Amino acid sequence: MTDDNSCFLSVAEAAPLIAAKRISPVELTRAYLDRIERLNGTLHAYVRVLHDEALAAARAAEAEIMAGRYRGPLHGIAIGLKDIYDTAGVPTEGGSKSCLGRIPANDATTTRLLKEAGVVMLGKLTTWEFAIGGTAFDTPFPPARNPWNIDHDPAGSSSGSGAAVASGLCAMAMGSDTGGSIRWPAAWCGLAGLKPTYGRVSRAGIMPLSFSLDHAGPLTWTVEDAAIVLQAIAGHDASDPASARCPVADYRAALAGGNLRGLRLGVARAMFERDCVGSEEMLSAFDESVGVLRELGASIAEIELPPLALYNATAYLIARSEGFAIHEKALRERPQDYGALARDRLTIGAYVRASDMVQAMRRRQMLVEATTAAMGGVDAILLPTAPDPAPRLGDLAPYFGNQRPTYMRPFNLTGQPALSVCNGFDNAGLPLSLQIVGRCFDEAMVLRIGHAYERTTPWRGRRPQLA
Amino acid sequence: MGATIEARFLAETKLLGLELLPGQEVTLLAAYTALREMVELVGADYPFETEPAHVFMPVPSGGDRR
Repeated sequence: MTDDNSCFLSVAEAAPLIAAKRISPVELTRAYLDRIERLNGTLHAYVRVLHDEALAAARAAEAEIMAGRYRGPLHGIAIGLKDIYDTAGVPTEGGSKSCLGRIPANDATTTRLLKEAGVVMLGKLTTWEFAIGGTAFDTPFPPARNPWNIDHDPAGSSSGSGAAVASGLCAMAMGSDTGGSIRWPAAWCGLAGLKPTYGRVSRAGIMPLSFSLDHAGPLTWTVEDAAIVLQAIAGHDASDPASARCPVADYRAALAGGNLRGLRLGVARAMFERDCVGSEEMLSAFDESVGVLRELGASIAEIELPPLALYNATAYLIARSEGFAIHEKALRERPQDYGALARDRLTIGAYVRASDMVQAMRRRQMLVEATTAAMGGVDAILLPTAPDPAPRLGDLAPYFGNQRPTYMRPFNLTGQPALSVCNGFDNAGLPLSLQIVGRCFDEAMVLRIGHAYERTTPWRGRRPQLA
Repeated sequence: MGATIEARFLAETKLLGLELLPGQEVTLLAAYTALREMVELVGADYPFETEPAHVFMPVPSGGDRR
């Protein structure tokens, strides 16, 4: 069973077949490479396909498994990495002309951990330029397209990661999330996207955008797959100064059971019915999702968070200020090497005064405390991930976030774990999304809720129809 | 500082020593306008003792992990 269908196995489905030697990692990898060959010219999910390296890694995995040295559920699984994850000896260019030909000497910590778990790296995935440049047409790589409708945007900045997983061009992909860049493409591509707690997963070796808001995490077909990947990459890393020394749970074990009896879930309704009103279909899907979770045994409460605009303004000042600091030298010396969107979005950080930044960090602390207080009586927060399904490619306004802000940035600011799951489709067949937000370092809770929801609903039975 | 947002933008651009590319002044001015609104929203009227969020984290030995 290593035809095109095998490319749609989840990690949790493929792993036992690989362990039992019923699927060959080499044949599986060939199936993905064939599919990439057929579809990447349309979807632009990969900027670089590592054909020979992937087959070599697959042969090595297969030899180990045949010799009885099975490493675990990621052994022989084909993955893609957003092209801001350093890969030793393999170009990592951040989607930017300014980094063409940049070849890191070392792997990012997450790259190394995934390799140690036995993955097969198929290639590097399309990213918005430096994870900020938006859907752009003036950068070296064309923008990725949404597999559910190739005329639509897959969101970003982990755009290739979302497109690749949804279209069966890899079993899972890594993304990064500074203001929603894992959860947003997960939402628009109909995936599970997990932003772990700040400090839970190392950022070392990943191109930075905003030191205090950047998070690394997986985009997967199922929540169970996200748990499997998190298990492999979570934990303290001395090379990341923000990495936390915090016990790592058994995330897959936390999924067991299926009912949610005894849990209290808080609906942050004002955020999507007052601050930025979600589309009718998104709101309807959300209410149905809450009904499903109630039927699974959770009790539902309404909670009040601070205004979305306040979270977003605070995060914006911090992100832009940190982003400009990172790119200042290159922006001053070689501004023409940036696409117009990335150039503007980074340059604006120059205008954030030092005192503006300190006030933003003061406001941030107040928002963290207010969010923590609002969560006092609940185990997790529920809200949509984004107010709308995917628009047509190129229709996102340059400052889209200010006009129709998504509901994700608050949790980059607070550092809480947040998971986006697919909760249906609109009339045009585009995915809708539910966001589940937990307490810091309680990824197990959001995964448990997401998994219970996913198993009870039919949405994992549908895949994009591509030629 | 000039009275209009455009004047403020141009004055700050000069002060920052930024050399903008052709056409960038228009797009960046839109971003600048939004930025000033966000600065207003975040505010500056906090009690003296209001601490900012701290990303710096000392290790137990008293050293600095960086």
